[in-house]
Amino acid sequence: MAYHPRENWKPTLSKRVYTRRDFIQRAALLGIAVPVLPSLLAACAERDAEDGVALAIGTPASPTQQPLFEDNPAIESGLPPEEGPLLLYNWEDYINPEIIPLASEALGVEIQETTFINEESALAALSSGEAQYDVWFPTSQRVPVAVAAQLIQPLNHDYLPNLGANIWPQLADPYYDKGSRYTVPYVTYTTGIGWRIDLADSADIEGQANPWDVFWNPKYAGQAGMLDSFTDVIALALFRNGVKDPSVATEAELEAAGDALVELADSIRYNIDVAYDGLPNGRYAVAHAWSGDLVNSQYFWPDGVDQGTTRYLWPAKAEGSAVNGPISSDTMAVLKGSERPVLAHMFLDYMLGADNALKNFEWVGYQPPQNDLTPEYLIGDEWVAEHLAPALVVPEDFELGTAWVQGPLDAETEALWSDQWTRATAGG
Amino acid sequence: MPTNLASGAEYDTVGQKRWVWPGLALPGIVWLVLLFLVPFYAIFAVAMGQIDPLLQRPTPEWNPFYWDPTVFGEVLAGLFGGQLGVIALRTIAYVAIASLICLIVGYPVAYFVSRKAGKWRWLWLILILAPFWINYLMRMMAWVNLLSPDGQVNRWLETLFGITSPPNWLAGIPLVVILGLVYGYIPFFILPLFAALDRIDDATLEAARDLGAGNAQTFWRVTLPLSKNGVLGGLVIIMLPMFGDYYTPNLLSGAPSTRMLGNTIDQFINQTTSQGAVGAALTIVLMIFVAGLMFYYLRAINRAAEEARR
Repeated sequence: MAYHPRENWKPTLSKRVYTRRDFIQRAALLGIAVPVLPSLLAACAERDAEDGVALAIGTPASPTQQPLFEDNPAIESGLPPEEGPLLLYNWEDYINPEIIPLASEALGVEIQETTFINEESALAALSSGEAQYDVWFPTSQRVPVAVAAQLIQPLNHDYLPNLGANIWPQLADPYYDKGSRYTVPYVTYTTGIGWRIDLADSADIEGQANPWDVFWNPKYAGQAGMLDSFTDVIALALFRNGVKDPSVATEAELEAAGDALVELADSIRYNIDVAYDGLPNGRYAVAHAWSGDLVNSQYFWPDGVDQGTTRYLWPAKAEGSAVNGPISSDTMAVLKGSERPVLAHMFLDYMLGADNALKNFEWVGYQPPQNDLTPEYLIGDEWVAEHLAPALVVPEDFELGTAWVQGPLDAETEALWSDQWTRATAGG
Repeated sequence: MPTNLASGAEYDTVGQKRWVWPGLALPGIVWLVLLFLVPFYAIFAVAMGQIDPLLQRPTPEWNPFYWDPTVFGEVLAGLFGGQLGVIALRTIAYVAIASLICLIVGYPVAYFVSRKAGKWRWLWLILILAPFWINYLMRMMAWVNLLSPDGQVNRWLETLFGITSPPNWLAGIPLVVILGLVYGYIPFFILPLFAALDRIDDATLEAARDLGAGNAQTFWRVTLPLSKNGVLGGLVIIMLPMFGDYYTPNLLSGAPSTRMLGNTIDQFINQTTSQGAVGAALTIVLMIFVAGLMFYYLRAINRAAEEARR
C-alpha cells in the first residue's frame, strides 16, 4: 500500500491575492520591471484577485449543512439505471476486490476501478475535468471543498434506503454534511498507538496519562515507527505536548512540537506501512498507526510469529489518558460529471448493505459505520481478534470531548506545519 | 566531382540532400521538447505560480509576467543556512561517499574483467549484471528482509561470531543507506568503466613497458589517464540518480537523520496540499546543481577529445 487513504488536509479559503504593489515588487525581483505601462500592470494585477469561496466546515460540536447550488441538482426519483460500465475512482487497496464482481452482478453492469495515490492528485484530476468517473471516495475533510468546487452532486435519498436503515445515526446525518446531502459514509477509523507485547512493555502505554509520550521513551529508540504522513506526525507531537486542538495550534506550540520531533531524529523511523510491515516483522516495537491498518495487519504476519502479540490504543479513549487523539471517517459520493448517476446511487446503496459492508471490511480492515456490525458482533463472530477490540470505533467515539476531528488548515498554516516537519526530518 | 554536388546549395559533400542529416535529429528534438522542455517549464510554472483559492493546490503560472519568485527565495534561504541546507549537505555527503566507494570497489572489478579475465570475461559480466535484471525496489526489499532484526544477516552473525545483540541495521544507520546506494548503482559505474578500459590498446601498455615503466608506473601514467573518461562517465551516471534517490533511505532507514533531498521533494509534492511549489523549486535547484556536474563531465570529455586530435 503506497499511501493509505488518510490525508488530513482540509483546504480552506485562505488566498494569496495579488495587489498591484505585490506585482510590481515581484516584477522587479524578476528583473522584468519595465518602466512602461503602469496602467497595464495594474490591469494585470487584477487578474488574480479573485475571491476565495466560503467553505461549510462542520465539527461534531457544530455540525454544518453543505450548500446546494441551482446548477447542481440531485437526480429525479424513479429513474431507470443507465448502461454500464460504472466507473469508480478510489484509493489504492481501498475496496475488497471480491466486492466488485459481486456488485457488478447485483447491478447488472460492468464496474471498473481507477485508483489514485493521494487525495491531492485526485482533486487535481477531478477539478481539471480530465477525469470522468461516477463514484468517488473522498475523506470527510475534503467534502466541503468538493461541494464548493461542485465536484460532487447532491444525493437523492430515494435511491439510498440502506443509509437510514443501516448506518450509525451519528454518521447517517454527519457533522461534516448534515442530512447527508452529498455523501454517504464509507469507513471510520482512529489514529493511535500499536505495539507488540513481546517487544514493548504494555505498561509504558496502557494506563499512562500521556500514552503518546511512549515515542519519546529512550527504551524504544530505533524500535519506534511513526506514519510517514506529516500532518499525523505533527498532530501527534502536539497532542504529546498537551495541545488539545492541533488545528488551532499557535506558532509557539508548533515550534515546540518541532523541537520534540527533532529530539527523535536518531530514534524514530517514518514509514507508511507500520502496521503491515514494521510491526509484523518486529522492526518496530511501538508504532503510530491507523486503527484500520492494525485490524488488517493480521494478514501480513510472517509465519511463526504470534499474531496475538499486537495491541492498539487510542489515547482519546484510553483509561487514565489525559490527552486527545484523532478520529475520522471517509465517504462515498457521486461525481457531478457522472453520466450514470442512477447506477452510482445504486452502487452507494449496495455498499451500505450490511452484508456487503462486512464483506468489504473483511479485506479492507477499515470499519464501516453499520448499526449491526457492533464490536461485540465483529469480535464474537471472529472478524476481529479480541485483543484488538480497542481498534474498533463505536458511534459515541465521535462525541467524546477528547476525540479530535482535523480542523481546517489553510495554506499558511500548512506551510508552518510543513516547516516543522522539514526541521524534524533534517535531524536537528 | 559528380555533377549533382556542384549545385552546392541543395546537396552536401556526400551527395545527400541538405535536410537529411538535420532531419534525422528531428525525432530526438521532438522527444526532448515534449518530454524534457515542456515538463521542465511546467515545474518552473508551478514553482513560480500561485495557490488556487478554493482547492489550495498550487496552480502553475504559465505567463512569465505573473511569476512570483518568493518560493524560490524561501528555498534558497533554506538551502543556505536553513534546515534544507542540512539535508542538502547530507545528500551531497552520502552521494560523495557512495561514489567514492563505487570507485574503490568498482575500478578493480572493471580492470580485472576487461584486462585479466581472459576468455571468461563474458561470464564475469553476466555475473555482475545478473542481480540487476531484478527491479531496484525488489532488491532493496530483499535487503530490508536480510537486515531486519530477526533477518538472515543477524542470524549469521550469531551463529558465526556469537554476536547476540547486533545493531539494528535498519534503524537509521547512515552507512547502511550509503552501502544501499553503492549496491544499487555500482554496476552502472562498472559498465562504462569496463568499456573504457577495454578500449585501451595493449600496444600503448607495451610501449610504456618498453620505455622502462614498471607495472605501477604503467598503471598510473598510462592506464589510469586513459580510463579517466570512463571513470568520469561512470561517476556521472551513478551520481545523477543518487541525488534524486529517495526510496533507498526510505526502505533502508526511514529515520529523519538519514533523509535525503529526494525525500524532502517527495514530501512537499506528495504529502502537502499547498506546498507543491516548494517541492518544484527544490527540484529545479537540484537540477541546476546536477547539471553543473554534467557540464563538468562534458567539458572533460571535450578536452580529452581535443587532446586526442592533436
